[in-house]
Amino acid sequence: MKTKLFVLTLAAVTLLGVRAYAHHSFAATYLEGEKMTVQADVLQFLYRNPHSFLQLESKDDKGKSITWAVEWGGGGQLGSQGVQRETLRPGDHVIVVGEPGRDPDAHRMRMISIKRPSDGWSWGGTFD
Amino acid sequence: MTFNKLSVGLALSLCVTVPALAEIDLSGSWAAINDEDAMERGAGPNPDDWAGIPFNEAGRARALSFEQSTISMPERICWFQTQWHIAAGPFSLRMWAVPDPLTGRVQAWIVGAWETRAPMTIWMDGRPHPSKNAPHDQTGFTTGVWNGNELIATTTHIKSGYIRRNGASSSDEAVITTHFRRHGDMMTVALFMNDPVYLTEPYVLTRSYNLSTNPVSIGGPPCIVGDEGVESGRVPHYLPGTNPMTDEMFKLYGIPKEAAMGGAETMYPEFRDKIKDKFKLPAKCVRNCGGGAGAGAN
Repeated sequence: MKTKLFVLTLAAVTLLGVRAYAHHSFAATYLEGEKMTVQADVLQFLYRNPHSFLQLESKDDKGKSITWAVEWGGGGQLGSQGVQRETLRPGDHVIVVGEPGRDPDAHRMRMISIKRPSDGWSWGGTFD
Repeated sequence: MTFNKLSVGLALSLCVTVPALAEIDLSGSWAAINDEDAMERGAGPNPDDWAGIPFNEAGRARALSFEQSTISMPERICWFQTQWHIAAGPFSLRMWAVPDPLTGRVQAWIVGAWETRAPMTIWMDGRPHPSKNAPHDQTGFTTGVWNGNELIATTTHIKSGYIRRNGASSSDEAVITTHFRRHGDMMTVALFMNDPVYLTEPYVLTRSYNLSTNPVSIGGPPCIVGDEGVESGRVPHYLPGTNPMTDEMFKLYGIPKEAAMGGAETMYPEFRDKIKDKFKLPAKCVRNCGGGAGAGAN
């Protein structure tokens, strides 16, 4: 059923030509195939096009604050997958798995999955 | 009415309804067939993969200086692409004709906008291109002529833009020639990039579309600037000799660096013979090996 739904969605998106567009190349921005996990609190959820960004704040080993920019699907794409503007709010504690950015100092990730332990909400998948 | 008068009247009415110069109707929603260059048009190309691009030294040097985070600078996030985006982007097209209100003749063809590309207005009324000193923008200025059933559009006055989304760029001196060819319910669009600043030969891409009854959106959702991790004022780039990804195509796929760095000879089939002894088939493909997966919230 999931496969059928995905194929139908893909076909509709292709015909309508309204999918969000990776304005930069993922392969050139992130280390595809690698994974990292961050436990952090939501600072801001930029639900927008061409891509949404989730700003997170975590602490390093010395207690210093680190801000993460996690790239996600565009508003239209996420909306069709059940993620809305109000789905995530500042202060939500989340566990994010993503592909790390090529520049480690940029603290940037491409979203693979996200989970909010407080209520069990989660999302996982791909986007372009 | 005599037979002769009827014949003349019929002939005249046919002349009125049949367009001159063998032009054909291109109007409608054209759904993109994205099998060609799927990775390049979708999630994006590998870094420092410029095989098949007829770079000169300046074009290669500019590409090597490019750092992906450039596009995450606040002032560039919503920057429009040039009309070359038709060739390199994934989206469908909607086209329509604009008639002259007095004569009814087609004054212009419009290729509708995308979220990251302005509409292409193809002027068909014979107007000249602006002075070479006129301002350039991402949209450019486009005129068209019919060559039989083929519409040929010539775009000048564009700003510098991308050729491939990994740093390969065209200059503001570039000229894009776009050929629209309809075959029943299919359309082929062939785009030629001529750039005297960064290319030694024309770079050519073709795209295919199916006529669709589903309306293609014009403009798409709005782009909104936001924090993508690049602080205001920083300009991401690589200084000469510091790009860390020039060996990536060799490491991933065994493709020699001389192929990945592009140049006119890498466009032609005989180049494969030149590098066949340097190509090493990797034991296992580890990235972008095909396939995909669905997504959804739980």
